Amino acid sequence: MSFVKCCFESTEGHDFLDSLVQKCTDPGCCCGCCSALRPRYKRLVDNIFPASPQDGLVKSNMEKLTFYSLSSPEKLDRIGEYLFQKASRDIYRRRHGFVIIAMEAMDQLLVACHSQTLNLFVESFLKMVQKLLESTDPQLQILATQSFVRFANIEEDTPSYHRRYDFFVSKFSAMCHSNHNDKPTRENIRLAGIQGLQGVIRKTVSDDLVENIWEAQHMDKIVPSLLYNMQTAEKYETVSCMETDTRDGLDDDPPRLAEACLRELVGRASFGHIRSVLRPVLTHFDRHELWVPTEFAVHTFKIIMFSIQAQYSYSVVEALLQHLDAGVGTRVRAARAAVLSSIVAFAAGDSVGPSVLEIINNLLTNLRASVARDSEKESDEKLYQEALINALGEFADHLPDFQKIDIMMFIVSKIPNQRGKGTKADSMLQSILLKSLLKVGSTYRTTELSKAFPAAFLDALLRLSGAGEAATRALLQRILHTLLDRRGNAAALAAPTVDYAKLGLIVEKCSRPDLIFISKHGYAIFSSLYDGLQLESNTAENVCAIYTTLALLCVELASEETVCDMLQLILSMQQSALSNPVLSTAQACRVHGAALALLALVPHVLLLPALQEYVAQIIEARREEAPHLLPPLLEDYDLSPSKMPNKLPYLMIDQMALAECLKACGVEARLQPAAPYAGAALAQRHSWVEAGAAQGRDSLADISAGPNAELDSANSSPGVQRHCGGGESVSLEALRRAASGPSEAERREAERRRATLNDTFRTAPFDHLLLITQPKYEIKEKLEEIFNSLSEEPLLGVGVGGSPAGKPTPCTKYFPELFLY
Amino acid sequence: MEDYKFLFKVVLVGNAGVGKTCLVRRFTQGLFPPGQGATIGVDFMIKTVEVDGEKVKLQIWDTAGQERFRSITQSYYRSAHALILVYDISCQPTFDCLPDWLREIEEYASHKVLRILVGNKTDREDREIPRHIGEDFAQRHGMYFLETSAKEAENVERLFMEIAVELMEQAKCKELPKYDGSLGPINGKTTSVGDGSCCLRS
Ligand SMILES: Nc1nc2c(ncn2[C@@H]2O[C@H](COP(=O)(O)OP(=O)(O)O)[C@@H](O)[C@H]2O)c(=O)[nH]1
Ligand SMILES: [Mg+2]
Repeated sequence: MSFVKCCFESTEGHDFLDSLVQKCTDPGCCCGCCSALRPRYKRLVDNIFPASPQDGLVKSNMEKLTFYSLSSPEKLDRIGEYLFQKASRDIYRRRHGFVIIAMEAMDQLLVACHSQTLNLFVESFLKMVQKLLESTDPQLQILATQSFVRFANIEEDTPSYHRRYDFFVSKFSAMCHSNHNDKPTRENIRLAGIQGLQGVIRKTVSDDLVENIWEAQHMDKIVPSLLYNMQTAEKYETVSCMETDTRDGLDDDPPRLAEACLRELVGRASFGHIRSVLRPVLTHFDRHELWVPTEFAVHTFKIIMFSIQAQYSYSVVEALLQHLDAGVGTRVRAARAAVLSSIVAFAAGDSVGPSVLEIINNLLTNLRASVARDSEKESDEKLYQEALINALGEFADHLPDFQKIDIMMFIVSKIPNQRGKGTKADSMLQSILLKSLLKVGSTYRTTELSKAFPAAFLDALLRLSGAGEAATRALLQRILHTLLDRRGNAAALAAPTVDYAKLGLIVEKCSRPDLIFISKHGYAIFSSLYDGLQLESNTAENVCAIYTTLALLCVELASEETVCDMLQLILSMQQSALSNPVLSTAQACRVHGAALALLALVPHVLLLPALQEYVAQIIEARREEAPHLLPPLLEDYDLSPSKMPNKLPYLMIDQMALAECLKACGVEARLQPAAPYAGAALAQRHSWVEAGAAQGRDSLADISAGPNAELDSANSSPGVQRHCGGGESVSLEALRRAASGPSEAERREAERRRATLNDTFRTAPFDHLLLITQPKYEIKEKLEEIFNSLSEEPLLGVGVGGSPAGKPTPCTKYFPELFLY
Repeated sequence: MEDYKFLFKVVLVGNAGVGKTCLVRRFTQGLFPPGQGATIGVDFMIKTVEVDGEKVKLQIWDTAGQERFRSITQSYYRSAHALILVYDISCQPTFDCLPDWLREIEEYASHKVLRILVGNKTDREDREIPRHIGEDFAQRHGMYFLETSAKEAENVERLFMEIAVELMEQAKCKELPKYDGSLGPINGKTTSVGDGSCCLRS
């Protein structure tokens, strides 16, 4: 009876009977009787459709169908198939209302299904979705997408490994490019396309055994589709995180939905998959010429950096780096480099040793390639190089300080180091790499000098300081500035001055580690800087730059222990300005100006009232009679060489007077073994003295040794100096005479200088030279030696070995001159 | 009813403006669309035809001709069973670009892909490419050749029907598992055909 009844249309009690049928376990019992009748599931499905599609799904019957499916899950696949076939027919007959109802029913069944039974139903569900997507009706396509998204959000217990999504990827990507004539429809289709792709990604991304979404055939569709929608945004607002994105309308704006989808994709990419995403991104930017202007590229790559798993961010930088050179067009290259510099900082925090150097190396390689390239437009190439250097700086800026030193050493190791005549490309490369070094250096915050200047690094820098073109050398000094300047004084000390009071310099007492550092390396530093002042090709910029370095050293190492060395160097500078034949008048004037500026700085950083007074005197005197010996340094000095007042002692810095000043302030007490720290300080100093002496340098002690003060003034160019040292004053008369015939005087002067030099080298007794140049182990001992030598030998012959501060081997410097003439 | 026995993917390529979209519309919808915009990226159409009493479903992917969409369109070549390369018989440059297109096809499509050269717009008076020139080119490169007019519906039906016949023959002679309606296209077995890997490769 019940079997017969079940074939009738539903009545009250029907559900009750259903459950009876359910419980009937004898397979023969049911089928035997109903075989001639329409299967129950078909009737249940048929019943959910109203007579007229406008009435929508018949809700009560849908509940029955759902209940039935839940209680007879083994029927699910047949229910699904039947619904699909009905919908297919309705699509064919263009009865879209019924198609929509069928889809809705499938949605409900899908949601109601228990996860274990879902698999039975999914097949026909997806066939249904595909069928709708194949229709030309946008409404059906959008509907299908919504169903697909619903499905994608369901977690399946057992993913179906044979299920394939390539049709969906292809179709959704096509929808992302919809060109429907009606704008709202077009937007909706595109939105649906993006949502569909998002669904596919969610469904497949977590499980590699399911369709491998990362394969090129999929990524080459998904990524450009997302980017194509993103690039149509009216403006690009880059926010770090979508969750905190409070802008509304995320779901109805294709660009932003596409962006969210890209974030999700990138965020889910594991290391092996990053490249699969990045490659089509780069290709898309190339194809659609989206690098210039850079806004969209920066926006996109920042989004990638924001959403990528932090430990992989390095590979984005790497990919972009490798792509820098791809294709032609320097402007595009420059734009790529600009994009790189906008994202490289993200990678810095998470990069570890080797990858850091790899990035740096890659940047440098690109720089080198750029320098070597015969570019069609040089200005564009410059732009490119600038952008690369910026990227380098950006990257370094976000690295810990110890890595910056590593990087700087690495860069230094790549700098070609040939003196003078390298190729043009070499010197360009040198300059580019120094710029890079400067960029990195400027991100470094120096604490202790010894950390900022590991010995090998310092050596390399000093070696480079004499190489290359004038502008390159100035660049190198700027690197020293940025590394030395811990207290932000560099800008104030950019050019020589004698008026320090209003500069607002920040001076602190020199720390002990710094003292140790400078006693170890001071000699090398000072002599390198001194050498730097002696070059024929020096411009005002070079002298300024070296002045700044010295001034910073003076400020940073403000200490009574270092003051003597500084004064010694100042005297040597003055000496070279007076006697170095390669320096032009203008160059000599600049060195004088710089020397006096440094001297004026010393009492500003240390309490030395006597010195301050003395400096003030000289400044005053020069102001009156020789303003060209004062800062500022000029490009041109309208002076004849005979006007060079090297014979006016009161315009010059006098060694004896300096010693007196120091003595008056009790400075030399510091040099006594009994003074605090003296033991260590002396020992350090000792080695320095030794080093200096070995190179023919007079020790700092000379300065306080009043009686032998002549030694210095007699050095290097004995003949000339004699006038000054011997107190043979030059009258104004003489000056006037010289001024009347400048060229004549110049020639004579030069000749005389040459002669004296030759003479010195020829006539100085060998043992005397030896004496001056041999190592000096004890200051006292040395002083005695010098005293003795002085008493034996008139001042004249001393010069050769004893160029005051840090002319390592004056012979090598001057011999060429000698032989030249 | 989803009762097709074969599913083939057909991709149309060629310069922008040669009439790819019109050919597809003519075939699938029987109309010549007035003034639609240029295709962006890729467009998709479906049409089921009957060959020897068996239903063959053609998935037609209509690509944008512009250079900038080349990377996404190339990604559709890979799974194609047939590639229709279209030029405009009244526009020499579209013919001159054919070698470039062939190079792309070589690079991105299956080697066994069925290639058809189509000279479209035969209705136009200002022909620039004589028929035999197109024919020669096709022959030299091992392609089928046909001249069509999407506007006058000339040879359009024939174009797609011949593709369906040829592909079906290929599929049959290789004795590949047929599509049967109960296996959805998302099912693994059907995809194997859809991948362009089994019915076109020996
Ligand atoms: N005379 C003529 N014009 C055609 C024919 N096919 C397409 N066109 C026109 O050519 C232009 C481009 O067609 P379209 O299908 O968009 O080219 P596609 O870029 O290759 O898709 C449109 O203006 C069409 O009207 C044809 O067979 N004959
Ligand atoms: Mg088109």
